Amino acid sequence: MPTLTINGIAVSVPEGTTILNAAKQAGIHIPHYCYHTHLSIAGNCRMCQVEVEKFPKLQTACSTVVTEGMVVRTDTEQVRKAVTGVLEFLLIHHPIDCPICDQAGECGLQDYYMVYGLHKSRYALGDKVHKKKVQDIGGQIILDAERCILCSRCVRFLDEVTGTRELQFFERGDHSEISIFPGRSLGNNYTGNLADICPVGALTSKDFRFKCRVWFLKGADSICTGCARGCNVTMHFKGDILYRYKPRGNEAVNRVWMCDFGRLEYKKANEDRLLVPFVRESGREKTVPWGGLVPQVAHALSQATERDGADAVAVIASPQSSNEELYLVRRIATELLGTGNLAFTHRAPGDGFSDDFLVREDKNPNSRGARLLGIPDGQAYDDLIGKIAAGKIRALLLFGNVLGACSDAETGELLSKVPFVAQVGTNAGPVSKAAHAVLPSASFAERSGTFTNSEGRVQRFHAGFPPRGKARNPIGILVDLAKWLGGEWSQLDERSVFLEMSRTEAPFRGMTYETIGNQGQEAGG
Amino acid sequence: MSFSLPAAVLAELERILPRYPNRAAAILPALHLVQKEFGHIPDEAIPCVAAAVGTSPADVEGVATFYTMYNRRPVGKHHLQICRNLSCSLMGAEHLLAHLSGKLGIRPGETTPDGMFTLSVVECLGSCGTAPVMQVNDDYHENLTVDSIDALLETLRAGE
Amino acid sequence: METVLTTHFADERYRRIDGYRAAGGYEGLRKAVSMPREAIVEEVKKANLRGRGGAGFPAGVKWGFLPKDLSRPRVLVVNADEGEPGTFKDRLILERGPHLLVEGIAITCYALMIHRAYIYIRGEYVRETRILDEALEEARAAGILGKDMLGTGFDLEVTLHRGAGAYICGEETSTINSLEGKRGWPRLKPPFPAVVGAFGLPTLVNNVETLADVPWIMIHGGDRFAALGCEKNGGTRLVGVSGPVVRPGVYELPANANLRSVVYDTAGGLRDGKRLKAVIPGGSSTPVLRADEIDVTFDIESMAKAGTMAGTCGVIVIPEGTCMVRALSVLMNFYAHESCGQCTPCREGTGWLKRITGRIEAGEGRPGDIELILDLCENMMGRTICAMADAAAMPARSFIEKFREEFDRHIAERKCSFGNRF
Repeated sequence: MPTLTINGIAVSVPEGTTILNAAKQAGIHIPHYCYHTHLSIAGNCRMCQVEVEKFPKLQTACSTVVTEGMVVRTDTEQVRKAVTGVLEFLLIHHPIDCPICDQAGECGLQDYYMVYGLHKSRYALGDKVHKKKVQDIGGQIILDAERCILCSRCVRFLDEVTGTRELQFFERGDHSEISIFPGRSLGNNYTGNLADICPVGALTSKDFRFKCRVWFLKGADSICTGCARGCNVTMHFKGDILYRYKPRGNEAVNRVWMCDFGRLEYKKANEDRLLVPFVRESGREKTVPWGGLVPQVAHALSQATERDGADAVAVIASPQSSNEELYLVRRIATELLGTGNLAFTHRAPGDGFSDDFLVREDKNPNSRGARLLGIPDGQAYDDLIGKIAAGKIRALLLFGNVLGACSDAETGELLSKVPFVAQVGTNAGPVSKAAHAVLPSASFAERSGTFTNSEGRVQRFHAGFPPRGKARNPIGILVDLAKWLGGEWSQLDERSVFLEMSRTEAPFRGMTYETIGNQGQEAGG
Repeated sequence: MSFSLPAAVLAELERILPRYPNRAAAILPALHLVQKEFGHIPDEAIPCVAAAVGTSPADVEGVATFYTMYNRRPVGKHHLQICRNLSCSLMGAEHLLAHLSGKLGIRPGETTPDGMFTLSVVECLGSCGTAPVMQVNDDYHENLTVDSIDALLETLRAGE
Repeated sequence: METVLTTHFADERYRRIDGYRAAGGYEGLRKAVSMPREAIVEEVKKANLRGRGGAGFPAGVKWGFLPKDLSRPRVLVVNADEGEPGTFKDRLILERGPHLLVEGIAITCYALMIHRAYIYIRGEYVRETRILDEALEEARAAGILGKDMLGTGFDLEVTLHRGAGAYICGEETSTINSLEGKRGWPRLKPPFPAVVGAFGLPTLVNNVETLADVPWIMIHGGDRFAALGCEKNGGTRLVGVSGPVVRPGVYELPANANLRSVVYDTAGGLRDGKRLKAVIPGGSSTPVLRADEIDVTFDIESMAKAGTMAGTCGVIVIPEGTCMVRALSVLMNFYAHESCGQCTPCREGTGWLKRITGRIEAGEGRPGDIELILDLCENMMGRTICAMADAAAMPARSFIEKFREEFDRHIAERKCSFGNRF
């Protein structure tokens, strides 16, 4: 563990640590562009140069490994001039695009200019080299080569992380330009990461283009619900509308990346939402207040049980629900409805694509959680569907927005065999079109809780804002429903539910929201 | 009609490949072979070279556009590359360039309408002692004067 | 004086193996393979042979950087990417004495247990590539290259690899990247090529002339080679003289030859009655000297004292009547054209310098332009991955330092006093 002194502060670091990271440990930020925690060292932007005792020239902090007794200074006049000099060089050809550039507000050039620059340009506008702007290069990315500072992060990402190498430098000198080979656009499922790693507005998100200035956005830690990987994300929103996802660092799950499919998952919180509780009478939707709907649903369920037996009632759980919600769903099914017809499936419409990086075949965030909580799937689900098809189910409580991998037509057909279907869901679809009662649920953006990913990692997600419209937190719906079914539950929110789970459910024993933190915790069993 | 590299080029490439520990090292020789065959590097050849050595078209294009000798656009039958660096300039290269340009009616970077000559300015050719110097396709022409240039053009025109 | 390289260059047969051998060629190799390997290296160290590519690093020391452990195969890369403006000496060796290089390669590889060598030759040297290729074929046929070198059991494969037009590929790590099929970007050092070089293997990169000196050192001994030169630089140097002199060309001279003597005696002084204005001593990247400053020798200390460097000994003679602004503009165009673009200060700085000097030359200079140039040079030098930025900045600074008045006048009068032409 060599110890170095940086700006007079002594800090001990693991063998092999670079000055840049040692400084970070000491709370000192060394400006940089080309360095990225998860890519190889390039050392070509030259922003991170520092003074190192015994070296005649400035050294790049990103590529210089700390040795015992090293003395580093980042706060000298020489260093400041070097940094300002590099910044000036980077800005001479940079287009004055700030007013129309999405990167504004989170731009490496803007940020460092405010600290190290604040200079007037010494370079004639007419001398700026012009390059191709606004190029749709495939995937989720728009390339503006003129804004590029040639840090090479994108080239390294496509070489080292995806291995697809679609981007490269063309030409030489100050005519160097990042580009794709014409006709060979980005062809991998991780293109969205390019906009994250690009320090400037050269690579930007097509989806996010011109939608919102970043300083209007708020963020909340969440988990992507697109598949069972459970990539850690930050969701950005304004008011109650989500604008984008950015990956959040978690070495055990997704490092700092996420896939393109997941990146667009946020739209599900915005679009086609169920926001008004209603019943379907004679094929028409009729709005009903919550105060009337929950007892109505409870009544329909218990009536079916009394009249035809517990086996005539079924509960289909959803692997889109949180651990806390699934726990309550199981208790409703087993304790209050007394039925054995409880199952879930991870199957969903679509082709179940997966790869050897982040994308999992299971397109749900919490199948593992459902299994750990003892909710059966597989054969049990097939049996349940069989009963529905045979007309044996008289009342169905269905969570989620789809019926497994059934097509819209198949869904409608199956559900038509059940006299009473109540849905607790977030988005309109074949189920909400067939259900007799729809209880709109808060989306993943509007509630908090935990998911268990395919590796068994329990991870927290956080609400960004209260439920939209008349949607409700499903925990509130479930506690209400339980009350009307005869259960007197004291849980008020996800935290109290989790507390109870941590006592009664072996996989979650001893866990708390604090031990889970923002990096998750592995479930037992 | 889809483009593919001529069999002779591919055969030569296969002959060269074992000389290097990895296939990518053959990119520069491969591009030289392609240029020898076509006079320049056609767009369609780039993905073919990439496939032959096992890398992406972008990587090959990155190499093809980095090195000045690879012509990405067709050039005339005779590529007149006149040095404009210091020693040659001191020995009158500017004047010779102006003469050439006027005589052929084209500016550096352009090709004569009949496709015979392309005029380029290049940097030091490593023949400073016999400046001014011009490279025409593969050959150096040294100690140039207005007269020797005129004679050379005649020879080239008459040549083939 | 005694010559090491050019002794038989006038003889056309010397470039073929028969003629080369008749003149004593490959005796050095024969001697080397009968010596212990350490002894070969020792001779080169005693010879005080410094790299002839421009950097002047002691060859024996560089050879010693290869790791002792032989588990990873080593590679020799011959840097035949001669591109420094004013330099045309390696071409002479390749044209007139290719077997000198081949023999030098064979001895070096034998001494250092290197079984693979690549000659990276600049793409423009087509004729020299052909000549060298023939020499390599002859050497293979004669059992010098390929398997079982001269019956010693030592294998050596030499591959000729053409560049394609990039001055930067003369920088050793750029040479390596180009050899690997990449854009010619220099690499960060450390790691040094001796540890991680071509294809990740321990690599030695040496200039053509450096290697060509080795056979003579084997035959005559390192001490004698050292004695031909001076204390800090043994042997001879191929000095190239260009510009309007009576006898331009390449001359083999002692390593501490006097620059003034080179210009006026060896090269016969300026022709057509011209007078001397300035001399660039060692290729365009070395600081310029005024006519009254050239009484210096090529050895390190003398050059350093004069504020310049021996570089490649590529002497460019600049006559009176030359506009130094225009001359600098030509060079700034060169560096901007050749910058690989990898790192910020060089990529943007060379382009900016080109534009400023171009404006001044065109009569559109502005007050403050000189200070701006000097400030840019300061932001470029020592701030980059390789020395290219320094190579561009040094002529800019020295031209301004030595001919400041001319630059000021050009800006103030908004015209070229020399008629906008050379």
